Amino acid sequence: MAATATPEVRPGIGRDEKTDSQTEREPGYLVICWNDPVNLMDYVTHVFQVVFGWKRQKAEVHMLQVHNQGKSVLTRESMEKAEFYVHQLQQYSLHATMERD
Amino acid sequence: MKLLRTKRDKLVFEISLPEKRLLFEVLRLYPLITTAHHRLSKTARSAKQDENQRLLEESLTAQREVNRKNVRAMLGQTGHFETTASSLHLTLSRPEIEWLLQVLNDVRIGSWIALGSPDPEQGKPFVFDEKAVTHFRTMELAGAFQMVFLNALSGSQAT
Repeated sequence: MAATATPEVRPGIGRDEKTDSQTEREPGYLVICWNDPVNLMDYVTHVFQVVFGWKRQKAEVHMLQVHNQGKSVLTRESMEKAEFYVHQLQQYSLHATMERD
Repeated sequence: MKLLRTKRDKLVFEISLPEKRLLFEVLRLYPLITTAHHRLSKTARSAKQDENQRLLEESLTAQREVNRKNVRAMLGQTGHFETTASSLHLTLSRPEIEWLLQVLNDVRIGSWIALGSPDPEQGKPFVFDEKAVTHFRTMELAGAFQMVFLNALSGSQAT
């Protein structure tokens, strides 16, 4: 694991913290699942159902989007919620990230 | 290995002794993926992002420790298994199947990474040598057990 240097500039310094906080609360973060050739399709569907509480049909739509188009935007959330979902998906070893919209 | 019946919130599987040995062989390998393998974002690079990445790795490490404890408990006790006249029965709750799925997928993905992350559709074929065969076998074994559990879950729940 690559070592991470301690940041000398703390988040928020030199910026308007309220603005930062507001940005984080806005649903401006996309939770994306990326395709890979190893995760089983049924497994991906199952994980979407468990993590998002979706019905099987909706989970399959997103799974097929990942499979056919290389990725699927699963949800658009605040920073905190997006992080939560990415953590959940990665606990199941899915290739998921959060990106700014 | 197959699902025999659902008993309240528990699922009862019939499993042969060789299958149990293979399942344990796969479980003993956990974990194979390093926490640094997972990235919070593909694009964002900032001090805050580094901190969030660190938190992600901490969270995954904590979850992994819980799974590792569960694996040790399953390997070390016979509570989940019941010997019958003709076979073994494995009884699991749904939460237990969830952590087993996480563990099995970690081993599957970890074996794939050990194979060099092959992706034939992208022109990166499997390269087989003696060591690769072992990883390939583990990857496929983990996947086979995953499918048994997934089929059992989807067949036993109202949709």
